[in-house]
Amino acid sequence: MFRKILIANRGEIALRILWACKDLGVRTVAVHSQADTDSLHVKFADEDVCVGPPRSKDSYLNISSIIAAAEITDADAIHPGYGFLAESAHFAEVSEACGITFIGPSPEIIRQMGDKVRARQTVAAAGVPVLPGSDGPVPGPEEALHLASDIGYPVILKAVAGGGGRGMRIVRDEEEMVRSFEVARLEAKGAFDVADVYLEKYLEHPRHIEFQLMGDKHGNLIQLGERDCSIQRRHQKLVEESPSPALSPELRAQMAEAALLAGRAVSYHSAGTIEFLLDEDTGRFYFIEMNTRIQVEHPVTEMVTRLDLVKEQILVAAGERLSVRQDEVRFHGAAIECRINAEDPETFAPSPGLITSFHLPGGPGIRVDTAAYPEYRVPPFYDSLIAKMITHGNSRREALTRMKRCLEVTVIEGIRTNLALHQRILSDPEFQAGRFNTRFLEKYFVPADLARKAD
Amino acid sequence: MDDKQLRELMDYIAASNFGEFELTRDGFRLRLVKATPAGAAVDGVPPASLVPRPAAAPVAAEPAISPAAIPPEQGLEVIHSPMVGTFFRAPNPNADPFVEAGDRIDPGQVICIIEAMKLMNEIEADRAGEIVDILVANGQPVEFGEALFRIRPRV
Repeated sequence: MFRKILIANRGEIALRILWACKDLGVRTVAVHSQADTDSLHVKFADEDVCVGPPRSKDSYLNISSIIAAAEITDADAIHPGYGFLAESAHFAEVSEACGITFIGPSPEIIRQMGDKVRARQTVAAAGVPVLPGSDGPVPGPEEALHLASDIGYPVILKAVAGGGGRGMRIVRDEEEMVRSFEVARLEAKGAFDVADVYLEKYLEHPRHIEFQLMGDKHGNLIQLGERDCSIQRRHQKLVEESPSPALSPELRAQMAEAALLAGRAVSYHSAGTIEFLLDEDTGRFYFIEMNTRIQVEHPVTEMVTRLDLVKEQILVAAGERLSVRQDEVRFHGAAIECRINAEDPETFAPSPGLITSFHLPGGPGIRVDTAAYPEYRVPPFYDSLIAKMITHGNSRREALTRMKRCLEVTVIEGIRTNLALHQRILSDPEFQAGRFNTRFLEKYFVPADLARKAD
Repeated sequence: MDDKQLRELMDYIAASNFGEFELTRDGFRLRLVKATPAGAAVDGVPPASLVPRPAAAPVAAEPAISPAAIPPEQGLEVIHSPMVGTFFRAPNPNADPFVEAGDRIDPGQVICIIEAMKLMNEIEADRAGEIVDILVANGQPVEFGEALFRIRPRV
């Protein structure tokens, strides 16, 4: 087992990893930028090292600084959290080369699943359904037209090097393809420096369903059920829940088996997530990508499985076997998570600044993961997530009722947050009935000019 | 040690007979040097200087608080570490240190080495001046922004 773990992250996930280390009796090193000197992960870690100026590029993404911090503190493992260097195969490689265990999958796995085209080919070869589309980059408009007429419109052009919801263009007919193809390549070149685009069938109203995997280095791989992350705004998840109200036991079993196939295709170890789009009209589902890290929404799975995924991730990185077998995994009730962001509820512009008052909810069935506190100043340099509210209940209804209570008694003043938006979602009859897809939030945000026309 | 404790300690030392006070605890080193009367600095040591070096170096913190941590008196300046690593005063264990207190330095002159990821990074002075104080011991780990040298700039 590790003696000392360096946590290469900030905010709530740095604290989440810190809690797991404390529970395991492992010493901790926090790294931080000059903007995060007063952060809780710095206060609560056994040691801390400033690794650079505020901008992420110079601190949390600065590989040599972080490795040097591990060396001077004699840490024997690094947990990358999510974001920043979590899916950098290069960082994983450098860590291992310096004799420091990277708490995550091997660099080869990260590379194989990080490239969208390669990942798609890998899992398709293993028999996992993927969206009909090109096998690789589409060379020119002729090929795109030909392929799209085979698959049927609408289709979507995606930048090979894109991600995080950027570099996508929906094409609805031939005429639009003629106009769009070169534009999509130019956009991809501009945004990601690689012009290559690939083409896929576009689903109009899919649900986003992902499965949690956990594997050890002894060839054991298990799945821990799904999370329904269909409530998104511009591909940024806002609400996640488990189990999904959309899955029948049969469909759930099929998707879980497909997720395991995808994981086995790369001999996956550590925590990972297989993301699918589900077409509710046909009941068919398609692999979209794999995330080779712990995810923001992992607590939802922790609540229903009663497992500590971060602890498990650390233990398997140290070479231990999974603490449970697949047939020992039990699912209890339902859990839901709301991401509270420091942002303007109307414009979604980030709202950094001083939190003047901060009151968190408590009571049965509520968990809050946050690194904020009264008088904490949200720095403008990083993402806007300030708290994750997670509730659990014996039924979905109980979990939702507790979330409403949770949101009602949360007080965050001094900065703007999306608390009111979450209350609106929770009160929506369609949401309560479990009838929603990735387009759900669009109805709340009709552009002002369209709304005027409708009047 | 928090700011309040630090102030209490400074008051205590100020009222005492000590000329200098040094405390080392768990990788934290603090050195207090008392001002001499009439501003007559003894062998280049500035009056009322305070060079705390906790793990989270206040000198590396946001500008709003750093002026309190760096002695404003006599126009002394601090050269900070540009990287995380291990501080070395000499190119190898048998060699003479690059600089000693009292030495004049010029821009571009190598003043120390910081080892990071097995690489020996030569750190150059970014301005001209005189080394007043070397704030880090040989072989000690330093973080980004940590105070390394106090210098009297030459204009």
